[in-house]
Amino acid sequence: MDPSEVEFLAEKEMVTIIPNFSLDKVYLIGGELGPFNPGLPVDVPLWLAINLKQRQKCRIVPPEWMDVEKLEVIREQERKEDTFTPIPSPYYMELTKLLLNHASDNIPKADEIRTLVKDTWDTRIAKLRLSADSFVSQQEVHAKLDNLTLMEINTIGTFFTDSLNNLFKIRANLQPRGESTMSQEY
Amino acid sequence: MADTMGGFSDSEDESQELMTPAQLIGKLEEAWLNEKFAPELLENKSEIVECVMEQLNHMEENLQRSKKGDLRATIHRMETERIRYVLSSYLRSRLQKIEKYFPHVLEKEKSRAEGEPSYLSPEEYAFAKEYYANTETFLKNVALKSMPPNLQTVDLGKSVPKPNLDSFVFLRVKERQENILVEPETDEQREYAVDFEEGSQHLIRYRTVAPLVASGAVQLI
Repeated sequence: MDPSEVEFLAEKEMVTIIPNFSLDKVYLIGGELGPFNPGLPVDVPLWLAINLKQRQKCRIVPPEWMDVEKLEVIREQERKEDTFTPIPSPYYMELTKLLLNHASDNIPKADEIRTLVKDTWDTRIAKLRLSADSFVSQQEVHAKLDNLTLMEINTIGTFFTDSLNNLFKIRANLQPRGESTMSQEY
Repeated sequence: MADTMGGFSDSEDESQELMTPAQLIGKLEEAWLNEKFAPELLENKSEIVECVMEQLNHMEENLQRSKKGDLRATIHRMETERIRYVLSSYLRSRLQKIEKYFPHVLEKEKSRAEGEPSYLSPEEYAFAKEYYANTETFLKNVALKSMPPNLQTVDLGKSVPKPNLDSFVFLRVKERQENILVEPETDEQREYAVDFEEGSQHLIRYRTVAPLVASGAVQLI
């Protein structure tokens, strides 16, 4: 899947905004939103939050975990453990990127947050590469990937599954017995 | 594409009344992701497609009446555009698979037992048949008729690759499953069983989990 499509899915996440306009409830196909009152926080999907922000109709309240202290703890834990640690949001990377790009003036210490999230991401991707390597070398056929986010899976996704498929094809040809069961490609 | 989408607009509106529109959109998104990642063509979800089309048309009709620059209308318009994107991406990925595996798709449709639900919507079936006929005619006109007589036939079923059901997929478990048998990669390893806990994520061969994808117990990611 394309990273932009993962981002598209991330845009469905709810964030809190503080609008500066008033509007009654909006009945969308996917559920109702509002009512919007100036100064009162309200939850909206990210796509709407960013649009309103671009038109300067609201202030975005950063998610609870988007905080330097909390992210430092997460980063340290991620570096300490060998496995993937639970992450505060399944779309942490996308949310950070979108919010920092469009609403950095609403987020305190935006630059530090950017660095922290990037560090965590790098650590996790390094782990992912390592485990992918051992997956291949041990000729495994099943892996459990808890705590991995969609964006992380998609970073290696297509490349990794394609290589596995090709490896499998090569190995299947080495073992003449399985002919009838495998799907042959011409 | 336009044909496929236009065909659904005049649908019966009594079906699926138990689902809220929000759940409907959720179902469409699940179907979209599954279709994107599964190596083979999945069962068609034309009731969902029809219902979503209906919702969209209804909303767009209402929007026609709104004034320009109205904030409420802008929000609605953005939402319909997002849903329309998912819908077209879903239908497009199905058409791509049909184009890629058309002889096998048609074969499967032919061997389908009476009463079993069809994998293709009527529009997709027409598309697949036409695509088959056109490919055949094209091959004949361009190359085959200049070949020696004994080489003038070609079996499309054999010359078009089959979907590779052994390919690996990522999935998230929606309903707990026990004892999924994992086939070994080599002779030295033995097959073993794993349990799928709800909410866990796995990397596994598609063949092993294909029935679970069809039943909706797991979601491909």
